[in-house]
Amino acid sequence: MKEKTVKRVLMTLGAGLLTFFTLLPFIWMLLVSLSSRPDFLFSGTAQFSINNYINVLNNSSLHFLDYVKNSFIISSITAIVVTCLSSCAAYAVSRMRFPGRIIIPLFVLTMSMFPPISIVGYLYRFFSDTGMLNTPIALILPYIALTVPLSLWINMSYFSQIPLELDKAGLIDGAGRITILRKIILPLALPGIFSSFLLVFIACFNEFLFALMLTIDYNAQTLPVGIALFEGLHGEIPWGDLMAASAIASIPLVVLSLIFQKYIIQGLTAGAIKG
Amino acid sequence: MKSKQIFQQYESREVLTAYLFLIPALFVIIAFVLIPVLGTFWGSLFRDVTYLPRKFIGIQNFLYVVGNADFWRALRFTLLFTVTAVILETFFGMLFALLLNETFKGRGFLRTIILIPWAIPTIVSAKVWKLIFDYTYGMLNFFVVNLGFSGGKINWLGSSFAAFWSLITAEVWKTTPFVVIILLAGLQAIPQDLYQQAKVDGAGLFKRFRTITIKLIQPVLIIALIFRTIDSLRIFDLVYVLTGGGPGGSTKPLSMLGFEMYTNDLFGKGSAVSIITFCIVFLITIVYLKTGKFRERFS
Repeated sequence: MKEKTVKRVLMTLGAGLLTFFTLLPFIWMLLVSLSSRPDFLFSGTAQFSINNYINVLNNSSLHFLDYVKNSFIISSITAIVVTCLSSCAAYAVSRMRFPGRIIIPLFVLTMSMFPPISIVGYLYRFFSDTGMLNTPIALILPYIALTVPLSLWINMSYFSQIPLELDKAGLIDGAGRITILRKIILPLALPGIFSSFLLVFIACFNEFLFALMLTIDYNAQTLPVGIALFEGLHGEIPWGDLMAASAIASIPLVVLSLIFQKYIIQGLTAGAIKG
Repeated sequence: MKSKQIFQQYESREVLTAYLFLIPALFVIIAFVLIPVLGTFWGSLFRDVTYLPRKFIGIQNFLYVVGNADFWRALRFTLLFTVTAVILETFFGMLFALLLNETFKGRGFLRTIILIPWAIPTIVSAKVWKLIFDYTYGMLNFFVVNLGFSGGKINWLGSSFAAFWSLITAEVWKTTPFVVIILLAGLQAIPQDLYQQAKVDGAGLFKRFRTITIKLIQPVLIIALIFRTIDSLRIFDLVYVLTGGGPGGSTKPLSMLGFEMYTNDLFGKGSAVSIITFCIVFLITIVYLKTGKFRERFS
C-alpha cells in the first residue's frame, strides 16, 4: 500500500514536470508569434492575430520563402540520394561475404563521429576554389557524406532481420543482386528505410554550421541560417516576426515526427541498440 | 591451410558485387569527410593568411594555440558544458524514461509530446530560449519580478555564470528526449518476470530499481551517454545564437573558436584548433567503439 502511494506521487510529479518542461517553450513560441507585442505578459494586453506570419511571408526583402524552398530542396535531395546509397551499402554489408565486411561499417561509423568544424574549413576552400560556394550542391554533397553513416546503420539493422534464404532462393532463380535488393529486401525493410529517410531529412533540415559557412545569401541559405541571422532594421529584434518564422520552420518537423512517431523512435533506437 | 580456408570463404563474383554496392557510399564519405579532415590537418601546418604567402611552419600554429588563453578558456568551457549537460540529460532522461515505461492514463500523450523538443531545429530552440531569457521581454524575468524572487530583472545572458546555465537549460531541453527514447527502448527490453520475482522475494521499489533496472540498462545507458558526449563536445549552433560566445568570450566553445579564426582569415590557426577538437572527440569515439562492442554484433 505504502509503495503504491509513493509510486503514484512520484509518477504524478514526473508527468507534470515532463509536460511543463516539454511544452512551455513551444507554446511560448506560438503565443508570441500570434501576438501583436512580445511583452504582452508585462503590459497585460495584446491582440492576437496572424499578422506576424503574413509579415514574414509577404516581406520579399526577408527572402523567407527562399529559405523554405532551399531547405526543402536540399533536405529532400540529400535524403533520397542517401537512401539509395545506404540501401546498397547495407545490403552488401548485411547479406554478402567479402573481406572488409566488419571493418567497413566501423570505418563509416567512425567517420560520422568527426566534429564538423574539422571538416568545414577545408570544404569552404574547396567549394570557393571550384566556384560552388553558395549553391545547393555545396550543402547537398557534404550532407550526403554526413548522413550516410546513420542511414547505413539503421538499414543494416533492418536488413539483417530478413532471412538469408530469401536471397538464396532469388539467386537460384537467376535473379541478380540488384533485383533481389529491389524486389525482395526493400519491400520487406520498408519501415526501416522510411525511418532512416525521415531521420536524414530532419538532420539536414536542422543542420547549421555547414549551412552558415558554405552559403552567402538567399540563393542557398537554409531556414536555420535565415532564422539565426534574422535581424530588425535598427538592431531591435522583431520577436513577433522571428517567432512566426521559427514556428513555420518547426511545424513541418513537429507534425512529421508526431505522425511518424513510431518510425522515428524505431530509427533512433535501431542504430544505438539493436545493432 | 588456414589462409586457404579463408580464400575459399569468398566467391570472387560476390566480392566484386559487394564492393560495387559499397563504392558510392564510401566515395562520398572519403571525399567529403576523410579528405577534408586530412586536408585540415595538412593545412594546420601552414601559415595561411591572405596578406602573406603560404608557408610551411610545422607545429607553430599548434604552439600558438596552446599558448593562447582563449584556447584554454574555450577548452574549459567545452568540457564543463559537456559534463554538466550530459549529467543532467542522463538524470532527467532516466526519470522520464522510467515514467513512460509505466502504464497509466495519458502515457501515449506524454510519449508523443516528448518528441517535440527533439524535432524542433536547434536554431529555433535557441531563439525561443533567447526570448525566454531576454532582459526586457523575457518570460523568466516576468516571473522573477512578479513572484518576488528578486528585487528587479536579472540579466540572464549578461553574466558568465547565468549565461552558462541558460545554455545548459536550452541544451538539456533539446536533447533529453533523445536520451529518453534510447533508455525507454532499453527498459522495455528488461523482462517483467524479474521484477515480479524480486517483488515476491520482498525487494522494495528502490531496491528493485538498483538491482535490476540500473544493472540491465547499463549497456544502453553507456551508449546513450557516449552519443551525447560526442555531440555535446562539438556544440556550436546553440551557443552561436543564444550567447554568441559571450559575455566576454566566457561561453565560447572550441568549434566557435575555430569558426572565428576561419572567418577572420586565420586558416592555419583555425585548422589547428579544429584538429585539437578532432583529437578530443576521436579519443572518445574509440572508447565508444570499444564499449559499444560493435564487432560482436556481426558474429
